[in-house]
Amino acid sequence: MFNQFVNLFKSNRTSTCVKMSSSVNNIASAKLFHTSEGKRHGEYEWQDPKSEDEVVNITYILKDGKRVPVKGKVGDNLMYLAHRYEIPMEGACEASLACTTCHVYIQSNHLDKLPTPTEAEDDLLDMAPFLKENSRLGCQVVLKKEYNGLEVQLPQATRNFYVDGHTPKPH
Amino acid sequence: MFSKLLYRKRTLIARKCTQAKCHALSKQTLRLSSSSAPPGNILIQEDETVQHVKPYSEIPGPRAIPILGNTWRVMPIIGQYDISDTAKVSFELHREYGKIVKLSNLVGRPDLLFLYDADEIEKVYRQESVTPFRPSMPCLVKYKGDVRKDFFGTLGGVVGVHGEPWKKFRTTVQKPILQVQTVKKYIEPIEDVTKDFISKMLAMKDENGEMPSDFDNEIHKWALECIGRVALDTRLGCMDPHLPPDSEPQKIIDAAKYALRNIAIMELRFPFWRYFPTTLWTRYVANMDYFVEICTKYIYAAMERLKNKVVKDEKELSLIERILASEKDPKIATIFALDLILVGIDTISMAVCSILYQLATRQEQQEKLHEELKQVLPDPNEPLTAKKLDEMVFLKAFVKEVFRMYSTVIGNGRTLQEDTILLGYKVPKGVQVVFPTVVTGNMEEYISEAHKFYPERWIKEKCGNHYVHPFASLPYGYGARMCLGRRFADLEIQVLLAKIFRSYKLEFNHKPLDYKVTFMYAPDGELTFKMIDR
Repeated sequence: MFNQFVNLFKSNRTSTCVKMSSSVNNIASAKLFHTSEGKRHGEYEWQDPKSEDEVVNITYILKDGKRVPVKGKVGDNLMYLAHRYEIPMEGACEASLACTTCHVYIQSNHLDKLPTPTEAEDDLLDMAPFLKENSRLGCQVVLKKEYNGLEVQLPQATRNFYVDGHTPKPH
Repeated sequence: MFSKLLYRKRTLIARKCTQAKCHALSKQTLRLSSSSAPPGNILIQEDETVQHVKPYSEIPGPRAIPILGNTWRVMPIIGQYDISDTAKVSFELHREYGKIVKLSNLVGRPDLLFLYDADEIEKVYRQESVTPFRPSMPCLVKYKGDVRKDFFGTLGGVVGVHGEPWKKFRTTVQKPILQVQTVKKYIEPIEDVTKDFISKMLAMKDENGEMPSDFDNEIHKWALECIGRVALDTRLGCMDPHLPPDSEPQKIIDAAKYALRNIAIMELRFPFWRYFPTTLWTRYVANMDYFVEICTKYIYAAMERLKNKVVKDEKELSLIERILASEKDPKIATIFALDLILVGIDTISMAVCSILYQLATRQEQQEKLHEELKQVLPDPNEPLTAKKLDEMVFLKAFVKEVFRMYSTVIGNGRTLQEDTILLGYKVPKGVQVVFPTVVTGNMEEYISEAHKFYPERWIKEKCGNHYVHPFASLPYGYGARMCLGRRFADLEIQVLLAKIFRSYKLEFNHKPLDYKVTFMYAPDGELTFKMIDR
């Protein structure tokens, strides 16, 4: 009885599957739509600025106080940009607002220029270790021209992820 | 500009106070653990703890099956998949054994370690690797990875999948479903479905103005209709007042409920399916087959329609289209939609049952909600927007408070990937740690006046001296494996509450209901709410 059911299911499935894959191939090749989201998995940050107008100079300050100047560009995500330059800023949830591993302090006087955190970011910030008044999630900061000179510091985060000194690699 | 500054300041003050409380709290906790040490000497105390690590075998707990009697049969497996009284069992284990309780000698499974310490829960969450192991649904793992390997292949989806395959899949799908800016685009479709649902509620009123005895099933239909609209851009027709019990949408609901509600039974009561095909396992597989078959039919139909759909605005994209736009493998979109339907019906429906019940039995709170909604939506027919939802502060606080006191998901868990010291015991890797959020969310130590239902504790400018440990009440979990459906669940709940309570009042004029665990923790009984026009 059970086998009969399974066979029935199998045969149904195979036939629909074939039909489906051909239709979906059409969809994929037709490219009926395009969204900008496909570009936002960190690939964009690997492109160099095309002109001086685009450049946003920022500085990452590491746990040991070392300053790393980086030439970013308008539209770069602070977390993915850090990955490109091997700054040990984590991003366990890939900017989907599920963790606080990209927690940073905005050191320069740019805090007021940044958009107010969304409720989702705010809720997570409450869970960030060593929270300060200038805390933000790096994955939510997208560079604008007016952020030129921005300085962000990575928290001491002794209770955060990678306490063993392991340096995260870009995913 | 002024309001922005004001908001900022308010937030920061609140954050400061949360932080200060947490510090005070951890000091207190540490002092308790070593009363002879001078206060304030936290670091030294921590070092001492490390030096005096106790072995795993010394962790208290009911040791053997004879002592537990038959209760082991209904013990929580892990996380939210438990049976009937497991919430009570979870409270009792804490009362009897303390903050860390070991359940060993379980048939065919690793030990379960119940952790009732928010600081240690925080530690486990923070130390997890990029591919946290969430031990859940082994029967689904077997179904996807073994029984139907031909269909799922290496693309198991996100539910019941671990390690690299999970990571790869999650990376593909998590942006469209978790990112706030994308989720916002679905307010209108969810509002449309909800308006139809409210019309249906009005039509269902009996002569006393009450909802039918199977109102919870109506909520399940609303949840499925929302998923269909959002994920597949399809109206499945669940809002049809004459939907027959053998209709396909109803069968999808029944199959999804069966799949989830039997996981616990299979996992603990009858784990024998792992070794040979038991009757229950056979039925389970048949049910899953049916579920997959019927859902793929709808999913394929949705994909077929995409061929001819001309998208003018990115706003019109369904979730499936969003995934297809960045990921060309249609199989990924199919399997993702399957997971969404499987876990997106019963979970959110039971949460809604619980929230509506709490509102209907707390008229004073319901009045506060209504007042807020009148203010945000002076015209009840005004369409909802992200900005308006942002202003519904009390509504969100109420939901958070229901989740804290009656956490729909009674717990979460992780399989330790490394040996870890928890509360001074050395816990070997491979042990499954359970975070019983329904218990920790009610502990005075982490939540001030925990016994009091007080939504305002979640509102930053009103919380006063109330503190909430950020890891005590985590209904959606935290980190890389946080609930993928979280933003949609929140959005669907917000829209439903805003639409109902702006214009109507709900009352529950019957004997109070008990909470029980089916798959989720929710009121057990007929939700015959009386619906009254405002």
